[in-house]
Amino acid sequence: MFTLIQDLKAQVGIFESDADQVHGLLAEFPDPGALLHAAEAVRAEGYRHFDTHSPFPIHGMDEAMGLGNAVGVGVLTFFGGITGCVVAYLLQWWTAAVDYPLNISGKPFFAVEPSVPIMFELTVLFAAFGAVAGMFALNGLPRPYNPLFYSDRFRGATDDRFFLHIAASDDEFDVEDSAAMLQRLGAHHLELVKDDGTVDA
Amino acid sequence: MPDSINRSSLLKWLVDPVQSTSGVAKRAYRFVGDRRAWLVPMALGVALLAISLLGLWESPDDFFFAYLVGWSFLLTTALGGLFFLVFNHLTRAHWSVVVNRINEALVWAFPLLLLLGLPLLFGMHDLYHWTHAGLYDPGSPQYDEILAGKRAYLNTPFWLVRMGVYFAVWTFISYRLYTLSLRQDVRADPEIPAALRSTSAWGLPLLAVTTAFASYDILMSTDPHWFSTIFGVYFFSGGALGAVATITLVSLLLQRTGGLLQGVITPEHYHDLGKYLFGFVIFWAYIAFSQYMLYWYGGIPEETVWFQHRLQGGWAWHSAALVVFHFLIPFLMLLPQATKRAGTVMAVLSVWLLGMHWFDLHWVVLPVLRESGGFHWLDFTCWLGLTGIFAGGLMYRLSRHPLVPQGHPSLHDSLQFENMQ
Repeated sequence: MFTLIQDLKAQVGIFESDADQVHGLLAEFPDPGALLHAAEAVRAEGYRHFDTHSPFPIHGMDEAMGLGNAVGVGVLTFFGGITGCVVAYLLQWWTAAVDYPLNISGKPFFAVEPSVPIMFELTVLFAAFGAVAGMFALNGLPRPYNPLFYSDRFRGATDDRFFLHIAASDDEFDVEDSAAMLQRLGAHHLELVKDDGTVDA
Repeated sequence: MPDSINRSSLLKWLVDPVQSTSGVAKRAYRFVGDRRAWLVPMALGVALLAISLLGLWESPDDFFFAYLVGWSFLLTTALGGLFFLVFNHLTRAHWSVVVNRINEALVWAFPLLLLLGLPLLFGMHDLYHWTHAGLYDPGSPQYDEILAGKRAYLNTPFWLVRMGVYFAVWTFISYRLYTLSLRQDVRADPEIPAALRSTSAWGLPLLAVTTAFASYDILMSTDPHWFSTIFGVYFFSGGALGAVATITLVSLLLQRTGGLLQGVITPEHYHDLGKYLFGFVIFWAYIAFSQYMLYWYGGIPEETVWFQHRLQGGWAWHSAALVVFHFLIPFLMLLPQATKRAGTVMAVLSVWLLGMHWFDLHWVVLPVLRESGGFHWLDFTCWLGLTGIFAGGLMYRLSRHPLVPQGHPSLHDSLQFENMQ
């Protein structure tokens, strides 16, 4: 059970620290191209619990990291839309024909024709809810705290720096080996981030 | 190498106003099929029309109504293509450049359509109730006060003048867009993209007005008492859907059966064509339902009569089929990303939607003639016969010129185009 939750969290990018309270390695790369190639290489080495951080989206990064297409958001949007359509139908039928029937110029208490605009609107509204909520959930957001914030250099991820983070929870993770690999890939600065707030350069 | 394009001889001008420029086509964009590509559909079309002539002798009103539906199917599709080309120029769309030539080949259809429309003039009395002289004579038992009030607009001479104006406008705009683009293949002049955009800019409002009035004149006036202000948009929405379906289908035919344009039109482009199909499926439903709902709500007999007729007898089945097969099923099929990128699915859907576009026009026109729904064999032979000739013309134009606007400044961007995932 516990590992199942960990797996689910890892799928949305929330990685647990290991038994030694090590959160993972944070490697800084000089430019987007280097980061892209590093992500490809890290994936090719068999790592799965890793993430990249850059100030802007990098074209091709999804493929490099092997993220695939985000089908999940589409599915959640679809079911949000279906829910909205059904809710709008039931809402109008129940209010107009069951709970408070009013004769308005001889029209039927409930008919599909005038209900369609509301069904359409709620389909769009609930589909949008599904899309936004699904996007947040599948990204593991909102997540106000992340151990990577212990690193001062990591602030640059929103400005002019490019990072790759390998989590300690990855089966392939080994502090020495992984660090050596990242250095081989061209990381010009490496940090070991721990849960107690220390950052070893 | 020629540095300009030459006008065709008069008869060929109807089908293609410019002499062949395939000599300047780059190897990847050259049409290499033989003349069967256009000869076969054209011969089939002529054969089917010849069979339809037997029906003209047997039952003239069935023939003329079937012919009107088939002809309107092609007219709306060509107009939809003209709109699509115009707004792709106006928005400087890059993605669409690789399919622009197919769109342009679709758009140079109006001279041929005018010629193919001439037989309808012999069926005016059957098709258009408002042409009956007795309606306007107060002494006649046929006298119709309402139609007499519409006489200033609905009379044969003015109707013919309007048709002439529409076809002149459509032919002129499509001539500019078609020939300018072909000239660009031969010599890339930086003035040409600007000229294409300015033609599109003044062409768009003219197209909008002429299309709306053409819809009133050609289709709405078959039931001259009835009126709908949204009818022009309805006419456009089906045509735009037909045009995108045609472009998709021709692209796939060139690639899959002709082996042409390999790697030029990619799943990325089909993905975008699929989004447009999806959009126009919804737009058609939106407009069709808007027209219906307001009349349902108003409940005024002179307005609801048109729909009442289409919800009675066999026509109720046609109406229900439109909702399910023209909207619901294509909507659900085009919703996922994967189907829009799969060539086979897109080919099936394009054929399907073209069929539904015809079915929609059949539903608009035929209840005027027949009390109960269903089909006459002439409905199919006239439609497919005209479509065969039309498709033959389209393939003839494609076979004579580079298959892509090879001098277009955005062609490189279009070839590299990728959707945001």
